[in-house]
Amino acid sequence: MPAESADVVVIGAGVSGLSSAYFLARAGRDVVVVDKGIVGGEASGRNGGMVSERVDEPLLIPMAVEATELWATLDEELGHPTEFVQEGRLQVAVTEKDMGDLLAERDVAMRHGIDAALVEPSEIRDMIPGITERTLGGLFFPNGGHANTQLTVQAYAWALQDLGGRLYQNTTVTGLRIVDDRVTSVETTAGAIAADVVVGAAGPQTGLLAELAGVHVPVAPARVEILATAPVEPRFPIALVGNGLYGHQAVRGNLIFGGGAHEWTDVDLTTSPGKPNTPLIRNIARRLAELLPGAADAPVIRSWAGVVEQAPDYRPIIDILDYPSNYVVVTASAHGFGISPATGKVVSELVLHGESSIDIRGLGLNRFADYGPDWREKRGWIPSPLRY
Amino acid sequence: MESRPLVVVGAGVSGTAAAIEAARAGVQVTLIDENPVPASMAALNVPQFFGQRFNAVLHDSALMLRRVAAANEALAEAEEAGVDVQIGTCVWGAFRNSDTSRILDGPQLGLADRDQSWLMKYDRLIVAAGARDLGVAFAGWNSAGAMGANGAHALMHHYQALTSRRMVVVGTGNLGLNTARMALGRGIEIAAVVDVADSVRGDRALSAALQNRGVKLYTSHTVREAVGRDGEIETVVLVEIDDCREPVSGTEKVITADTVCLAIGLVPNVELLSLLGCDLAFEPELGGHVPVHDDCMRTSVKDVLVAGDAAGFHDGMVLDTEIARNQGRLAGIAAAESLGAIDTAEATARRSDLQVTAIDSGPTDAYLNWIRWLRALLNAGGSEVPVCPCEEVTRADLIGLRPPRFLKWESERRDGRSLGTLAPDAPVNPDQVKRLTRAGMGHCQGRLCREQVALLLAEASGSDIAEMPLMSYRPPARPLPLRVLWSHEESDQVRREWAKWFSPTSPVMG
Repeated sequence: MPAESADVVVIGAGVSGLSSAYFLARAGRDVVVVDKGIVGGEASGRNGGMVSERVDEPLLIPMAVEATELWATLDEELGHPTEFVQEGRLQVAVTEKDMGDLLAERDVAMRHGIDAALVEPSEIRDMIPGITERTLGGLFFPNGGHANTQLTVQAYAWALQDLGGRLYQNTTVTGLRIVDDRVTSVETTAGAIAADVVVGAAGPQTGLLAELAGVHVPVAPARVEILATAPVEPRFPIALVGNGLYGHQAVRGNLIFGGGAHEWTDVDLTTSPGKPNTPLIRNIARRLAELLPGAADAPVIRSWAGVVEQAPDYRPIIDILDYPSNYVVVTASAHGFGISPATGKVVSELVLHGESSIDIRGLGLNRFADYGPDWREKRGWIPSPLRY
Repeated sequence: MESRPLVVVGAGVSGTAAAIEAARAGVQVTLIDENPVPASMAALNVPQFFGQRFNAVLHDSALMLRRVAAANEALAEAEEAGVDVQIGTCVWGAFRNSDTSRILDGPQLGLADRDQSWLMKYDRLIVAAGARDLGVAFAGWNSAGAMGANGAHALMHHYQALTSRRMVVVGTGNLGLNTARMALGRGIEIAAVVDVADSVRGDRALSAALQNRGVKLYTSHTVREAVGRDGEIETVVLVEIDDCREPVSGTEKVITADTVCLAIGLVPNVELLSLLGCDLAFEPELGGHVPVHDDCMRTSVKDVLVAGDAAGFHDGMVLDTEIARNQGRLAGIAAAESLGAIDTAEATARRSDLQVTAIDSGPTDAYLNWIRWLRALLNAGGSEVPVCPCEEVTRADLIGLRPPRFLKWESERRDGRSLGTLAPDAPVNPDQVKRLTRAGMGHCQGRLCREQVALLLAEASGSDIAEMPLMSYRPPARPLPLRVLWSHEESDQVRREWAKWFSPTSPVMG
């Protein structure tokens, strides 16, 4: 039975919600996290585990840079291992267009003072054993890395509990009670929890949740897939992006790579979305074998499918709203894992001080003030048949 | 993409019966069986627990194809009936549209042989995929020579490739007794047949026949460990157990053997049914999670039928193959009827001479037997035994929710966490435990450990195993090399859409 009240109720035990809860608990706040499922039960627990400085998305660089710094000591901070490996992140070009993109990103990195070095194909072959001879060049970010997704969300959850935070799993939010301009309590299947502040970090359900408070948050759910091979030798610790894929080799040796044609879908507020896999893993396998011919014999032993959310401009929304004035929206547009330590820091600062020490300009909800309820149809971001 | 009216997966007793029945009713039938499996897959203990006790003949695919065909008379009968028989072809995926995915233009299977994969659409599907070996850990079971009854059966009967010389069979019942009989018939010595029960389970005539041939049957005994040099089993230590299934010290028997064959139980192969969203129900007398089906063998998904061990296995089915055969024929008739090849009256007439409830030897509670074994092996072997041999996760690691050992993580706060502290947060979820400990994440795709992991989690957390979620099944249902899974017929649309990942400028998410 959940508590009857808390300083902060966080809705969603994904990586953004748990990190926010952890930082708030560390600041002395009494925090409750509720989730309709288990810790990291959706996309937060199974994604590519990538940590990057987001040079591809300059607005996010301040948060992403802060995050890479926090990641470096996160295991000690949380007291539980995340399997974070910070040996860099390499983007390789296999087409002329890729090479053009890399050069443009290199320029962005230079402007923002981020370490990034162009590398020759011969250097790439030394960095990534078994990689294709067909790379045209690469861009190496020494501060990038990767971590184990489920270990990370569980580490946040346990660290939160170690600080006295409370976690109610399999507890579904059914309503938000609003008095005047504030959410006064979160109604759940296990009773109501009075709250001073409510953080909505519900991933693909972020929009549906906000609707309970009469707020329109435009996010569209999409299904994505990743595959995992058995452990293979030789190892490379560097996170790798190229040939339409992103991924890494886990410490255990498994290749974990995803990418590809996504599919817009729908979710509802109270049930976990189904996780159907599709034959898309064959296309991912093909691209991975093209990228790493040396690993072509590696057996694929698993695949993951899950639902992530996207805002119309592919960027996170992190905002403490004008109405309800104690409601924080946190949604990361499928980039939440890597920036998660910074997300927690930002949200805790927003709750405690009303503003963040990290530059989050451009991530407010008001940028979508013109987006009506039919924005997905207008944009074409709706479920539609796609053949392959 | 190819499309077939009826695909039958599995060419065992029930699958061949289903295919022949439907073909004789005028249906164009495709019968697919993965045997012979590539040696590389057998080495991963997929799809059975082969325990590395096979010889190099598995690498000779042409010879293996001949042997598999020769060992199964029903295959020839199926071909005579007009069935398109494809052996050496595995089904690694089954896909259909759902609430969160609508991209397919019909239900389809992912198939593969040694060299490539492809997709095949179907109008009706009969899953007759059999059952796999139940793994229950003992010290040394991660050595070469520990194997399962179905693995031994495949190597003896289909492949003629079993290299064991002297075997200890773990478990009586018809499964264990029949395994011992088959092995004796192939010149393999049976050093012992062991059971934790205080009497021999299974067919009396069969156990008497074994005893007449000098086979020692040890009741109220369990395995303490299997030991040997260079990762090969050379001796097996048995120990007597008391009424509480605790080992009795001083009763150890050291037995020379190169093979320990687990014959404690079989688990219905429900991967494809699970992927297709067929309703599964926990049936402790039928080997755990089995598909819900009606008297005509139709599952909850309208195009999908089931037959044989995959529909639920009990020990009586080992000796009475009519049960699986009847189920297969019923599925074949129902498929033919739903495709319009025969009308309802004809289907009813064909069904009338089949005993729907052909379960003569009443089912026993398989799970109770599993739990007895689990406790006895745990008591005798202790908690440092690897429950997941692929990832080397011990029982203590599992219950302690310890992070993988290769991380070498030590902290007081970490040590304060275990299954006991997770359980109050939420009912135990085997998928969550899997991702935290890696138990079930190895190259055998969890085949050897998922049931005992669930049993251990239920025991340790005081949960009802029937209420515990089934550890999820994911494609590929077979470990397939990237070069095999590789899509050769990628559509233009996929090529085009691929670059439109979640960013206006960058082709990928990272």
